[in-house]
Parts: sequence; C-alpha cells; structure tokens
Amino acid sequence: MITRLLLTATLTTLTASAQRGLKDIPDPDPVKQAAAFNLPEGMEIQLVASDPMIAKPVQMNFDSRGRLWLVSSGMYPHIVPGAEENDKVLILEDTNGDGVADKRTVFADDLHIPTAVLPADGGAYVANSTEIIFLKDTDGDGKADHRRVVLSGFGTEDTHHLVHTFEQGPDGMLYFLQSIYIHSHLETPYGVRRLMGGGVWHFRPETQRAEILSKGLINPWGFIFDEHGQTFATDGAGGHGINNIFPRSVFRTSPGAQRIVDGLNPGQPKLCGLEILSGSGIPKELQGVLIAPDFRGHRINAYRLSPEGSSFKSTRIDDFLSSSHRAFRPIDVKMGPDGALYIADWYNPIIQHGEVDFRDERRDHSRGRIWRVSFKDQPLVEKKNFTESPIEDLLVHTLSKERVHREQARSELRTRNRDEVLAKLDDWKGRLTEDFARMQFMWTHQAVNHTAVELIKSLITSDDPRYRAAALRVIYHRHEEVPGAAEIVKKAINDKNGRVRLWAVSCLAQMPGPDSVPTALQALDHPVDKTMDFALWSIVREHQEHWAPRFEAGKPVFGDKLPHLIFAMKALGKSLSLESIFTSIDKGSLSPTERKDAISVISQVGSTNDLSRLLKLAPKEPAILDQLVTAAQIRKLQPKSGKEQLLPFLDSDKPAVFASAAKLAGLWKLAPAREKLMTAFTNSATKRQAAAEGLRLFGDQETIKLFLKLSKESPDETTRAVAVKELAKIAPDRAASSAVALLQKDTEGKDPHGLFSSFLQSGRASTSLAKALKDQTLPTKIATLGLQRAGTSGRPPKDLMAALQQAGKLTPMSQQLSATDMAKLVDRVKKEGDPHRGETVYRRTDLQCTACHAIGGFGSPIGPDLVSIGASAPVDYLITSLLNPNDKIKEGYHTTLVSEKNGNAHTGGLVSESDTEVVLRDYAGQMNRIARADIKNITISPVSMMPPGLTAGLREDQFIDLVRFLSELGKEGDFKVSAKPIIRDWQVLKPHPRTVDGMGHYGTSVFAEKFEGYEWQGYGSKVNGELLPSELPKVKGRGRNTWGVARFGITEKGKVKLKINDTTLLDLFAGKKKIALPEKGPAIIELTGNEDPQHFTLAVNSAYRQTPVLLELVTE
Amino acid sequence: MKKLWLTLLSLILPASAVTFEDNDTVVLLGNTVIERAQKYGYLETALTLSANKKNLKFRNLGWSGDTVFGHARSYFGPPKEGFARLKADLTELKPNVVIVCYGAVASFDSREGLPEFLAGYETLIAMIKSSASPREIVIVSPPPAESLGAPMPDMTTHNEDLSLFSRALGDLAKKHQLRFADFFSTLGSSKALTDNGLHFTSEGYQAAAPKFVEALGLTLATGNQLQSEHARKLRDAIIAKNKLFFFQWRPANETYLRLFRKHEQGNNAKELPMFDPLIAEAEKEIEALKKTTLSLK
Repeated sequence: MITRLLLTATLTTLTASAQRGLKDIPDPDPVKQAAAFNLPEGMEIQLVASDPMIAKPVQMNFDSRGRLWLVSSGMYPHIVPGAEENDKVLILEDTNGDGVADKRTVFADDLHIPTAVLPADGGAYVANSTEIIFLKDTDGDGKADHRRVVLSGFGTEDTHHLVHTFEQGPDGMLYFLQSIYIHSHLETPYGVRRLMGGGVWHFRPETQRAEILSKGLINPWGFIFDEHGQTFATDGAGGHGINNIFPRSVFRTSPGAQRIVDGLNPGQPKLCGLEILSGSGIPKELQGVLIAPDFRGHRINAYRLSPEGSSFKSTRIDDFLSSSHRAFRPIDVKMGPDGALYIADWYNPIIQHGEVDFRDERRDHSRGRIWRVSFKDQPLVEKKNFTESPIEDLLVHTLSKERVHREQARSELRTRNRDEVLAKLDDWKGRLTEDFARMQFMWTHQAVNHTAVELIKSLITSDDPRYRAAALRVIYHRHEEVPGAAEIVKKAINDKNGRVRLWAVSCLAQMPGPDSVPTALQALDHPVDKTMDFALWSIVREHQEHWAPRFEAGKPVFGDKLPHLIFAMKALGKSLSLESIFTSIDKGSLSPTERKDAISVISQVGSTNDLSRLLKLAPKEPAILDQLVTAAQIRKLQPKSGKEQLLPFLDSDKPAVFASAAKLAGLWKLAPAREKLMTAFTNSATKRQAAAEGLRLFGDQETIKLFLKLSKESPDETTRAVAVKELAKIAPDRAASSAVALLQKDTEGKDPHGLFSSFLQSGRASTSLAKALKDQTLPTKIATLGLQRAGTSGRPPKDLMAALQQAGKLTPMSQQLSATDMAKLVDRVKKEGDPHRGETVYRRTDLQCTACHAIGGFGSPIGPDLVSIGASAPVDYLITSLLNPNDKIKEGYHTTLVSEKNGNAHTGGLVSESDTEVVLRDYAGQMNRIARADIKNITISPVSMMPPGLTAGLREDQFIDLVRFLSELGKEGDFKVSAKPIIRDWQVLKPHPRTVDGMGHYGTSVFAEKFEGYEWQGYGSKVNGELLPSELPKVKGRGRNTWGVARFGITEKGKVKLKINDTTLLDLFAGKKKIALPEKGPAIIELTGNEDPQHFTLAVNSAYRQTPVLLELVTE
Repeated sequence: MKKLWLTLLSLILPASAVTFEDNDTVVLLGNTVIERAQKYGYLETALTLSANKKNLKFRNLGWSGDTVFGHARSYFGPPKEGFARLKADLTELKPNVVIVCYGAVASFDSREGLPEFLAGYETLIAMIKSSASPREIVIVSPPPAESLGAPMPDMTTHNEDLSLFSRALGDLAKKHQLRFADFFSTLGSSKALTDNGLHFTSEGYQAAAPKFVEALGLTLATGNQLQSEHARKLRDAIIAKNKLFFFQWRPANETYLRLFRKHEQGNNAKELPMFDPLIAEAEKEIEALKKTTLSLK
C-alpha cells in the first residue's frame, strides 16, 4: 500500500523537462530519493555520499584501512571525439564516524571507462577498458603516481561488458569477470589464454598466472565467495538468479558451448552485484542471505541457499529493500568494515546503451550515490585500520567473527614480509582446534602464496562436508605442492557428500593422467544430478587423449563397469570399439535403462557395421529407428547392410513407428519402400504427412512427378497441401502456383500446413512464390501472416515480401512515429492506459505475446523474459519495440542464420553447437537440428524473431493498455512477480467427449484419472499468480455446467501446506484422491509434495465461478 | 617478373638499415609488446628521431595475444575474420613500411608449432604485399623472456624456443629477401626490463627502444637529444596521438558501431571520422617537436 502511494506521489511530481517522450525524469534531490525507499521494519538507510562529491559509481571495494574505493565513469558509454580521458578512482572516508563520507581523495583521474577497482597489495588494481592496471601512490600524497599494466588484451566490443567485478578471494587471488560480447587474449608467462564471451578469471599477482574459472553468462556483474569458499555469480542480463560457479562450469551464451549448466533460479530479474549478509550488524534472520540488486526494478532481491546434491538450492525470499524512485539504480552491494551494508547507486533514469542512444540527452553523466543500510537493533562494529597492526594481530583478526575484518586483515598480510608472516603462522601450529579457524589459516597461507599441507589434510577429514570441499578447492589450485594429493582426491570421489564429489572431479580435471577419467567416473556409482553429470561429461572430453587411445588399444580402462564406459562414450561422441557393449546386449545382462543407454550410445558413435547390428535389434526396440534417423541425418551414416529389414515397419499401424520408418526409407533411398510410401500417402490420413516426407527425401524425378500430380489433381485439400509443401522443398518453382491456389482459400490466415516455412527455406523457393503471386490476390490475413514469417526469417526475401504486400493489398504500415506523435502516445499511455486491461490484451492468444515470452520464468523461453521490462525500459522504448522489433534486440536474443551448402537456410535462436550438429529453436519453439556436415556458414542476423505488426490488429486504446501493462512490469505494485511460492505453471485440459458422461457417473474425479486420451496444454497464471476460470478451456459437464481443469506439480519435497484463496465450486485431487475442502472461503490444507506436473488436479466450475484461483505454498 | 623485381629491390636496398622517406606511413604490427609500446611511446620516439624524415606517420596495429593468423583480431567470428580485418586495415592505411613482430605467442607451442607458424607468416607476408604493396617489410624477432626468480617461472627452456623461432625468422626473411631485425639477439640477456617475464615495463621500453633501433640498423639519436625536455614532450605528443588513433581504429562498442547491432547505434559511427583532424593536429605537433629535438646536438 505504501508503495502504491509512493509511486503515485512520484508520478504527480513529474517535471516539465520532457525529452523525446520520456517525462518521468525524477527529482535528483537526495532527500526526495531517500524518501522513496520502501524499507522493511527495523531497517535504516543513510546517504553516505552524493554528487558532486562522487559521480557515476561503477564498482566499490574497501581497503584495509576501512576506506571506500570506487571507480567513477562519466564517460560511459562512449568517448566523445576530442574529449579527455577523465574517469576516476575515488577514495571516500568518514573521519568522524557519523556514517557520512567527509573526505574524498581523487586517486586517479585519467581513466577510460574503468569498471572495477580493488585496493590491495599497496595500491589499487583498476579495470581500464582493454587492460587491468595497478596504480600506486609512492610519495604518500594520496594520488597515484605510478602506473603499471598488469594484464592487457581485454576486448571492448561493448562498454557495459568490459572486464569488471574485481573480488579478492580468501586465497589472495584477484578474480574478475567479463561479459558476452568481449573477446580477450591475455599473454601470460604460461602461454596465451583466450576467453571468448563471458566468464570468470582468476589471477595470482606473485606468479602472474591468469586462468579461466568458468565460462558463459550474459553480463555477470556479481561474484562472491561464501563463508566456506564456494563461489557464486549473478547476471545483469540473464534471468537465472544465483549461479553456482564451479571450476570449468559453462553457462548460457558461451560461444561454441555444447552443454551448459543453468543458474539456480530460472525466471528471476536480472541482477547486478552480489553480497552475502554477515557480521554483527546484520539481524539473525538475514545472516547468510545473498542479496543482489535488480537495478531495472529499483530494488534489491534476496535469496537463501541450501545444499542440494552436488550444487545448491536457491530460494528467493522477500526483497531486501526497494524504491519507487526511477533513477535509483543499485549496481553494487558490499558489507562495510563497520558492519553496515553499502549500496552503490549508479543513479540514472536511462540504463544500457544498446537500446538507448549513446548520446541520449536523458542519460545522466554526473550523479551518483552511496547509501548505507543498518538495523535499529543491531549495533555497528568498530572500524579497523589494519595498516598499522603487527602481523600477530592481523593473524588473530583473520579469525574474527566479522567476515569483513577477516578479509581486510588477510589482504593486509599480503603487503607484509612473507617469511615473517609464515613464521608467525608457524607459531600457531597445533593450536587451532576448530575447523572454521583451520580453514581461515589454510586460506591465509594460500593468500601469501603458500600451501598449508597439514591444514588441508586435517580439513579433508572434517565431519562437515563444507570444510572437506574447501580443502579440495585449495588442492584444485595447488595440487603440485600437496604430497598425496592424488590419493586424497581418489578417496574424495566416493565421499558421501555430492558437493565434495564434485570438487574431487574438479581436482581430477587439473591432474590429467590415465586414471583421471576412470577415477572421476566412480562418481557415477553415487547419485548423479545435472551439475555432476555436466562435470563428468566435461572431464571425459577434456581428458580424452588420456583414456580413449588406451581403451582403443584394448586396455580395461573402466574395469567391468559398463555404465562408466557407456557414459564415457556418450560424452565423447566419437566412434570407439563397441564390442564389449554389444556383448553385454547379446548376453541380456543389462537392466532396461542400461540397455537403452547402450543402444543409444551405439547409434551415437557406432560405425556403419555397428548400425547394421543395431537395425537387427529394432523389431524388439522400435525406438532404434529414431536413433538411426539421427545417425543418417546428423552423422550421415547408414547401416552397411540389411536395410531391407526396414520394410516390415512400413506396415506398422503405429503412426510414430511408421513415421520413423518412412523417414529412414527416404534417407536411405530404399527403393522397395517407395511403393508402400505412395500407398500410405494417398490412402492413409494418419500416415500421409510422414509418407510424404519419406518420399521427398528420395528427391528424384519420380517423386517430383508424383507430388506435382497430387498437388494439382487430388480432390482432398490436405493431400494437395502436403504435396505442395514437400514439393516446395525440392522443386519450389513447380510447387508455387498450387501454393498460391491453396493460400487464396486460407481466409482465416492460419497457414495450417506450414506452406510459408517451405518457401522460406531458400532464396530460390521464396522467389518462385513471389513470381507465382504476380497479378494474384490473397486474403489480407494470410498475406499478413506471410509477411510476418518472411520478415522474421534471417534473410528477409524482399521480392516475396513485396509480392505478398501487393497480393494482399496491404498498405505498408508506418512503424516509425514522429517525435511529436511518440510524445503524445507516451503521454496517453501514462494518462489513459490501464495495466489490468492491458494484461488481458497481453494474454490474448491471437497476439502471440505468451507464445514467445515468459514473465518471471513462467512461459516460453524463445524471447526475453519480461519480468522487469517496465522498470527498466522507458515507455518510448516499449512502443518502438512493439511496432518495430528489429530496432531493438536484446543481447542473447539475436537470430542465428544457418546456411546450408545446398542453399537452404534456417533461422532461430542458437541452442547449442557441437562438432556434429547445430541446434536452433525456431519461432514456434521447435528444436531444429542441422548436421555440421551440411552447413556452409553461421551468421548472426540483424533481424528479430519477433515479427513486426503483431499489434496491428489492436484498437488504439488496447495498444495503449498493453504498453501500460508492459511499463508496469517489475515496478512495485500489482505487476511485480512476487517471491512467494505461488503455483503458476499449469497444464489445462482441452474439452473431451468422455467427460460429459463420465461426470454423471463419477463426478469431478473423472478429471483426475490418468486417461491417455486427454489432451493437455500449457497455461500460465497472471502476473499476480491468479488463474482465471473464464480463461480455461470449457470442459463440458452435465447441463449448463462447464469446468476448467488444471493440473500442476509441487517441487517442494515432503509435507507442504497449500493455501487456497477460495474453495467455492472447486475440487482438488492429489493423484486420484479427492482432498476434503470446505465448501467456500479460504483454506489451508496439508499435502505431500510431488513434482510430477500432472500429479495434482484442480477442477473449477467455470460456468458459475468468476473469482480467480490462487494457490500458494505456505512457508514457515 | 615478380622475382626479378624482388632481386632488383634487394640490390637497391642498403643491406644494413631500414629506409624511411618523407611522408611515409609506417605500420607497427604484432602482439602485446607492440600494442603496449603505443602507451609508453619510447619505441616510436626513438624511431621518429632516428629516421629523421619529414611527416612520418606511425600507426600501431599491435594487438595483445595476436598471431600471424590474426587470432586476437576477430570478434564474433573465426580467426580468419581477424586476418581479414587486418587486411582491410592495411588496405586502407597503405603503409610504405610495415614492421612486423610476431612469434612470442607461437613459441609457447615449441618446436612442434614452428612449421605452422612459418606457413602462417608466409601467408601474412603475401597478404601485406597484396593489400598495401609497402616499400619495405621488416621481420622483427620477438624479445627474449626473463626469468625473474621464484615464484615466477623459469623461462630458460622458453628462451630456447624463442631463439629457435628467431633463427627461423631470419631464414624466412632471407628466403623472401626481406629485412630482418634480430631484436631477440640485440636485447640479449638483458635483465629487469619486464615484470612478468614477457612484457616491458615503462623503464623496460625505455631501455629496449635503442636496441630496437639498433636491430633495424638505424643510428640512434644522441643521448643529449633523447634525454632532452623536447624529447619528453615529443613522447607525450606521440602517446596522445596514439590514443586518438586507437579510439578511431579500435573503438569501443564496435558491436553497435559496425557489427551486428549496427542497426541500433550505427548512427554513432559518424563520430569516428571526427578523429581525423585531431590526429592530423597531433602529428603537426609531433613534427615540430621532432625538429626542435633534433636541432640539439
């Protein structure tokens, strides 16, 4: 409620300085900004520093004297020709302890978009576009007078992706990150290290060793070690919340990645910065909570982690704080040396520079704030100046209960005489009893580039897996200095804790040898989750030269562990001897899962002889046919002999088996099959499409003749359409006129047979259709659809688009608004737009918004998640994006265009690429696998997958409502996806004839049955989590009754409590069991969680109930 | 015909020194050692004074981590796009002299990497000739690595590889009748020029610049000239000019200015030519400072 009021207040104080449509340039007065915070009970916020003392803070870190260092960039996003490089490193001090910075030192003022600063090693490391430099004040005047390049070769392809986010690990290394568009080439004394795209680096100054820890992520600006030395990152352009960063992990968008790991919270807002709340200034209930700014949404999100298998479970909890001030852009959060939390506020109504012009006048270049958060009931702690402390004291402080002090003291120790530090550490030998203290000293040794072998060996035997994992992390970096490291790791691979086993795999990856892969694969004898599966897959491939040749030479690499061998072969994806696998299949000694795995690995890596042997097994295992299709399409391999064994499958009455067999017949060009396919094509409605595809794959003159005849003469429209569609793929010029005839009848504009897709496969095909359309007319709707499809194909065919416009008499839509019109429209959105009506427009199926976009992780992954679009994007940006999608394309959502050697082209979002295939997700969400062998080139297309003109059918008021809805997404209020565990993901029942009678006999329990004939479709709740009975398909009951039936799963395990907003006219089933509910009103019931998305069934009487349904898990 | 021309050329060229002429454009090409030289300015200052020609234009095209294949120059595409980018740069700049220093990265592949490196170098030479037809191409051997003591790695073995690569570069230059500047040998076993064993510090560049000039067969300016206030100003002016050229040649935000997000922010590429007059202005100053410096004895 408070939030709503504040929002209204902000809107009514709009200034008159409107620039190009954006009118809500907020009042920059820090007092007003402070008043706009929405703080939970007990929290206090204070302004530490503001403009003109500071401007545009990018990253901040504290030094061992408790001073706050920050880099400040007024130059961002791009240097103006002739302008000086004048970005700064600033040091802020609070000399009288009132929390307000009263002293500012300009340490350096000649930098170029500096993106990170870390005071350490007697100076400061600064990220300065193409390089990391070290600045030092040698004469004590507070200003840097010495400058040294530490590393160079960082890319600058996008200035908000530059090398950034410095963090000193407890191990004394410098960690830094880079983002998606950056390509870096660092020459080190150990060889060149290249990182294309995003990732995490670590660097040890003493040895000058720079290595990659993890790859991928879109724009990761948050990185943190937890209390036990595990690392996490957030992503400023990805939506997976917290990401678990383990060695060699690969995340989304890493170029060339064949496999990736996902973040821990898919569907979260984009986050910049990351900190773990700790120390005596933080209340008990927030200890250990991860906070990360949602800079688009003007708030700071919070997450709680718990161990789960080899990784973590991350749960979003209530926001740490939020603001209704539209220029509040929290981008960095750090615990301070006084126990308070500090927030760097970039302060800008405009963010990003991809979508909003570099030189946009609304972009602020001079403001910036630092805020300090404390809690009424938590007294702050005394700040320390460690620069004057003797080594003995510093060592004691590395055991402090205040984490910030431990880190400051450890960092300070790096500047002291190393031999003295080690000698004093020796004095403590045998005196540490707690694992926690041992771990701190293990790190202190590491921080001064020394290996504490005894401490490592003691922690590896700890009862607490967190310490065992921490010990392995040190071994990961320093195994050469740990005698017996190999034995330790060998034992750890069978540890009872999943995360310890994962670290053992990581360590093995550092120690390649004949045993590394066989040892790592022992982890398969324990539960394997996705993270572990990835790590094992990765080491099998990375270390292939250490095991594959030995295996080929007949050595028993994996002993008698067939599952290990199968895993290794699948992961490697290369042809190796499969004799032992065939033997096991023949013996019948395999479990059904093992047998399935064995068959699939043979199809993935086997030779043509192996495929022949596989085909023989097909009568018992028809799924083999699909595997042979893949082998033929992607690997270009066919069984060497016995192909005629396929023929009986063409008589199968199972459509799926027939379809695979038909495709194989075509791919193999199996002549005796042609007759059967032709019969199926003409006679069988269920087999027609598959038969046609099989025939098309023959691709010869005979096929073309057949298609041509049917496309013109068949009395059945579907037959004609299928013939045209397939003919278009092999002889488009001969299919075009029949296609036009079919399209002319398509008054609904749905293109049910997908004719456009066929004609958009190549330039030759689209030109044929364009020619055939000359002097013809088409219904408006189908011409519009064609135009959309053509316009979003990677290389939009101009001739076809012109022909469609002419044939459909489409007047070219003016998508460019004048500045005046845009200003008017923006104004109307603000004054007249109703976001609630807008949400209804958004959810209309004909607009296709939900077909591609998710909100808060619920919905389609094709386009960007819109969870906080309103909080981040100005209204004019939203309007332009709707009218002209190609103008603004979010990074990570560019269309990839794959051209085949035969002239065909495919477009879509890049899902993965490997040596053998490239996978695209097309506009309909379908995965399209293309064999590497067929590919001529892959390019990034400047065309959005979102067609222009989607909103053309809307009335003006509807368009205004829609924009208003989008503009509210993510802001405080009704359109912010809450952190509450609400059921949002549903599968809803389509009407089915059996329910009418069934209802009479069994009541609503007919909906809970596991009846195979039921058809289900996806459904997502509204932004506030509500399911609307009126939106569900109307499943008929008795009389006038209609029912909405929706199924869902609950991922929480064990007993859970579910809150139902109102049980009126609503039934609920767990499995087939009906749950007793009160007749009406709210209810809380207890259930046992079950993640099967079809486990729970909810039936609501949609004829008589309009009240939305809201189901929420009750958490303690 | 081409062969004859090359033979003639080798007869005309004095065997000992690289030649510069008035108004020459000189490209410095290579990896980190060349790239960082632009920010310290010592190397270019020494060359400017030694050459003693009117209106020499130096263009530093060094790129950290680069190889003869253009590995570091491609952005979103394969390395061959980096090579194509270099070709486009040379075609546009049309340098009269190209000073090439590669081998530091490839030598980490040891003896096994040498054939590939040399083959790549041949392609590079052919490309430079076809795209810019420079009067001179100079092959410079990479500087030796330094062993800085534990915990820094011992570079003795690596120096053996560097020596091998340097000798091979000498042979390559001979084969193509190109001038060879043996920077590896002229630097010899110098100490403390680097702080990571590979790349010069500011003091390192200052000490290495005379050796670079020597390797090119040029005569170094006098100590008086080099240590003068004028030379210091000249170096500052060179550094300032190099920055302007860098902002134009390798601008930040290229994804938006020239690549696949051009449709969003490509309009801002109009700012790139605005650096031309700024660079020209800076070069006037360099020319003047060079004259005053050389007027000293």
